[in-house]
Amino acid sequence: MRKYIFIFKSELMSNLQYVFNTFTGFIGYFIHIFIFLNVWQYIYSDKSQIINGYTMNQMIWYVIVTEILWSVANGRKLCRKISEDVRSGNIAYNINKPYNYIGYSLANHLGSVAIKALIYTVLGILVGLMFLGTIPSITIIEAVIIIITGILATVISTLLITFIGLFSFYVEDSNPFFWVYSKFILVLGTLFPIEYFPKVMQPFLNYSPIYAVSYGPAKLFTSFTWDLFIKLFIAQVIYIIIGYGLCSMLYKKGVKRLNVNGG
Amino acid sequence: MLTEVKNQFKISFLSIKYAIMREMLNKVTFTTNVLFMILNNASFIIQWIIFFSLKKNIGGYGLKQVLLLWGLTSGVYGFSRFFFKKAFSLSDTINNGKLDSYLVQPKNVLLSAITTDVEASALGDLLYAYIILFVYGFTIPRFILFTLFVALGGIIVTSISVILSSLSFWFQKSDLIADTGNSLMINFSTYPDGIFKGLVKILLYTLVPVGFVIYLPLKVMLKFKLSLLLLLLLITILFITFAFIVFFKGLKRYSSSNLMIARI
Repeated sequence: MRKYIFIFKSELMSNLQYVFNTFTGFIGYFIHIFIFLNVWQYIYSDKSQIINGYTMNQMIWYVIVTEILWSVANGRKLCRKISEDVRSGNIAYNINKPYNYIGYSLANHLGSVAIKALIYTVLGILVGLMFLGTIPSITIIEAVIIIITGILATVISTLLITFIGLFSFYVEDSNPFFWVYSKFILVLGTLFPIEYFPKVMQPFLNYSPIYAVSYGPAKLFTSFTWDLFIKLFIAQVIYIIIGYGLCSMLYKKGVKRLNVNGG
Repeated sequence: MLTEVKNQFKISFLSIKYAIMREMLNKVTFTTNVLFMILNNASFIIQWIIFFSLKKNIGGYGLKQVLLLWGLTSGVYGFSRFFFKKAFSLSDTINNGKLDSYLVQPKNVLLSAITTDVEASALGDLLYAYIILFVYGFTIPRFILFTLFVALGGIIVTSISVILSSLSFWFQKSDLIADTGNSLMINFSTYPDGIFKGLVKILLYTLVPVGFVIYLPLKVMLKFKLSLLLLLLLITILFITFAFIVFFKGLKRYSSSNLMIARI
């Protein structure tokens, strides 16, 4: 475990050099939230109106949290990196190292997004306060729990995107698969809570990764209940086990197909 | 002069043709890229079906108009990224001294630099745009207008990217400005302008000129106005001229450390 903590720390330290880039990247996040604020203000005729169990403020806070989780996961970069590692043969450098590639990839990616997570969380809450003036009332313990579920959500996202990236062992470019995954999460999990979808779709969404990586933590933030937390925590643990298992299986099978020309 | 322009177009055309042939070497990857991009764009229909189930009219648009907005946006960005892919990484070309190889060619440096590669997935954007046009309702005049606006919008978007990327001749780290500018344009273009008010609306026709790329063309498509069409043509020419002026002004400041690269 110590070696993975070391990988995490090294990547975190290296990313401290690029804090300015993270702040610049936040402009994109800010614009997203601004556009959504305009859309929802247009849809809600007054602030007290409730649509599918959400007030306008809850809806905006929901999007603020899901967008933080989505931006922090930084899936496009991770998928592109793994895909590139496989295509270029760089992955061969990891084969003879005394660590597990999936563990390395996870520690490395979490280290690279840790600073971003901190900055986006603080600035995201400030943006919400600036636009809405209020914040959902949560206690410190509840806030800590929400942060833990946020971290677990990022771990699951990382594992699922690593899994997609490893498709490159079989198809040359796995990025198109990531686009579809990203839109699945974005449209069905980030922009709207599960309650907005037809009743027939809701059970499917509740068992999908959307519940663990996006809906759950955001719903906890907008209306915290212990019952929801327990359900979410169990779902997240199951998804981590499944995600890790799938990645390890695909890596073990894929690496046998690898042909790298020396150079 | 005319022969020179003709030759330049021929070179740019050949450059794009060879880039497409290169991309098509691996047919499976090429096809997956195109098909999945279409699927990727289509997923947003769900988002709008939900919005319209909550309110019948959003910013003066119905579902059909939003579909056309998405089609036009997809076409514009598909056009620019397919034909001028390198305009969106021009900062990198300038910062890393990769312009050297274009400087020695007896052709226009800017056009050579931005037409040297194509983005296969952008073909998916273009195809999606025309699928949406057919869903909206195909007529010959609409098809011609749509194609014209896809091309004009694509050229304006490319010009904006060239202008922002050319800042790299003067400032370091200006690639972040170019990236942010490009993503701002995309974010605003997929939502009806009617939801924005006041200062933001002014910004959409000035600092983030999505208005000229998407909103005005869409207005012309929904209700034809010759004056607006001519205005859009004029604005496109202005953007192209400004992009060339900024790039060539910056090029005078360009220096490199004799970077040796192989262009395959």
